[in-house]
Amino acid sequence: MATTRSENILSNKSKLFTRLFIAFTLIGALIFIIQAKGAYPEKAWQAFLINFLLFSAISQGGMLFATLMHTVKAKWSEPLTGLAESLAAFFPVSLVLFCLLFLGKKYLFPWLGTDLHGKEVWLDLPFLFTRDLVSLIILYGLGISYLYHALYFKVDSNFNVNGLRGFLIRRWQKKPLKIERFRKRMTVLAILYMLAFTLTLSLLGYDLVMSMDPHWYSTLFGAYSFVKAVYVGLGAIIILAVLLHLNPDNNFKVKKSHLHDITKLFFAFCLVWADFFYAQFVVIWYGNIPEETSYIIERTMHAPWNTLAWIVFTVCFIAPFLILINQKIKTIPKAMLIICSVVIGGIWLEHFLLLGPVYYPEATSLPFHLVDVAVTLGFLGLQALLVTRYLKVFPELMATPKEVC
Amino acid sequence: MSDRLIPVMGLFDSEKKAASAITALKKSPFRLERVYSPIPGHNLTKALDLSKSKVGWFTLFGGITGFFTGFLLAIFTATRWELIVSGKPIMALVPFFIVGFEFTILFAVFGNVVGLITQMKLPTFKVPSAYDPRTTYDRFGILATCTSTKQHELTEFFAIRGGEVRVFEA
Repeated sequence: MATTRSENILSNKSKLFTRLFIAFTLIGALIFIIQAKGAYPEKAWQAFLINFLLFSAISQGGMLFATLMHTVKAKWSEPLTGLAESLAAFFPVSLVLFCLLFLGKKYLFPWLGTDLHGKEVWLDLPFLFTRDLVSLIILYGLGISYLYHALYFKVDSNFNVNGLRGFLIRRWQKKPLKIERFRKRMTVLAILYMLAFTLTLSLLGYDLVMSMDPHWYSTLFGAYSFVKAVYVGLGAIIILAVLLHLNPDNNFKVKKSHLHDITKLFFAFCLVWADFFYAQFVVIWYGNIPEETSYIIERTMHAPWNTLAWIVFTVCFIAPFLILINQKIKTIPKAMLIICSVVIGGIWLEHFLLLGPVYYPEATSLPFHLVDVAVTLGFLGLQALLVTRYLKVFPELMATPKEVC
Repeated sequence: MSDRLIPVMGLFDSEKKAASAITALKKSPFRLERVYSPIPGHNLTKALDLSKSKVGWFTLFGGITGFFTGFLLAIFTATRWELIVSGKPIMALVPFFIVGFEFTILFAVFGNVVGLITQMKLPTFKVPSAYDPRTTYDRFGILATCTSTKQHELTEFFAIRGGEVRVFEA
C-alpha cells in the first residue's frame, strides 16, 4: 500500500512537470503567434531565430560530447554520455523549427532585395534554405543513426516493449547482429557526426548570423559558432546531470570526480570560446579595414550595445574563468548549476548582440521585449519536455553507473 | 639504551598493500616515520591523509605576476621608442594581451617549479641513515620506529601484511 502511494506521488510529480513544460511551450507559441500576426511581426521572428540557434546548438553540442567520448574510448564519461544523448531528442523538432524559419524570411533577412555586390549567388534565399536544410538533415540523420547503435548497447530488452522502445527492440531481435561490426559502425558514425557538426554549424553561423550584416565577414566565424555550440552543450549536460542528481525521485547520482571532470572540460571550452573571439578580434583590430571594423565598433563602442557586449564578455568568460579556477567549486553540484545556467543565458545575450544591431539600428536602449522572454520560455519548455520524455522511454540512460575503473 | 627507538622498514611490492599497512600502522602504537614511494599514488595519499599541497598557490601567484609583467614589459619597451606604426596607439593594449598571456604561462611554470622545489625541501644532499634504494625502483618503503622491546612485534606486523622487513641500526 505504502509503495503504491509513493509511486502515485511520484507519477503525480512527473505529470506536474510535464504539464508545466507543456504550458511553457504553449505560452511561448501563443505569444509568438500573437506577435507574428500583430503590428511588429519582425520582433517575434527575431526572438524565434535566436532561440532556434541557441537550443539547436545545445542539442547538437550535447550530442557531440557523446560521440567524442565514444570515439576517444573514454570510460569516465559513461554515466554522462547517456544524458548527452538524451539532448538529441530535440533533433527532429529542430528540423521542423528550421523549416518554420522560412515563413519569416521577410523579417529575418535584411539583405533581401538589396545590392549585395557580387554575393548574390551565395545569398540567394532558395539556395540558402536548401543547403542549410540538407546539411541539417545529414547532421541529424548521422546523429540519430548513432543513437540507434548506442541504444542497442544500453537498452534492456526484457522490459517495457511498447512504442518506440518496443519497435527498436523488435528490430534488434529480428536481425541477429555481430556486436563487433555494430560497434565499429557506431564509431564511424560518431566520427562522421563530428565532421558534419563542424561543417553544419559553420554553415548555419555564416548563413543565419553573419549574413545578416551582408557586407561584413570574418573567416573564423564558422569555427566560432561551433565552438560556442560545444560550450553551451557541455553546460546543458552539466545542468541536466545536476538536476537529476539533486532530484531524489530517480536513482541517478553523479560522482564528484565525474562532475569535476566534465566541469573541467566546460572550463576549457570557456577558454576556447574566448580564444576564438579574441582570434577574430585581434586580426580585425590590426587590419583596421572599415568594412571589417564597423561591425565590431557598432557592437562594442556604441550605446546601447557596448553595455551588452561587456555583459556578455563578463558573463561568458571573465566571471566563469575566475570562478572556475577554484577546484572545489567545480565539484559542488548547485554551484555548477548556477554557473552553467548563467553562461547559457550569456550566450543567449551574445546571439542577441550579434543580431540586434542589424534589426534595431536606431536603438537607444536595449530592445528587449516580452516576446523574447516568452519565446525563450517556449523553447525551454519544448526541450525539457522532449528530454524528459526521452529519458522516460529509455530510463537506462540515467541508470546509476556501475563502478568505472 | 632500551628507550632508544629502532627504525624498522617494511618494503612492499604493491601500492595497495603499502596503503593498508599504513592505515593499520596508524592505529597501532608504533610510530610512522616516513613513507618512500617510487611513484605518486592516490591510495598512498589517501592512507597518509596528507594536507593539500601548496604548489597550486605558487603557480597561481606566478601566473598573476606574469600577466602584469607581460603587459608592463610590452608597455615599457613601446615607450622607449615611440614609433607610431600604421596609426596604432603606442600603448596598444589589444595586441599586448598576447604578451601578457604568454608571460602568464611562463611565470606560472616558474612559480610551479619554485613551488615544487621548496615544498619538496630540495635539494637534499644527505642520504638518511634509514633508507633503502629499492624504494626508488619497485618497492614501497614504510619506515616506523619502536622501542627495542617491541622490535619483534613490529617486524611481525610488516611480515604478516606481506612486506619484506629491514631493521636499521638505531
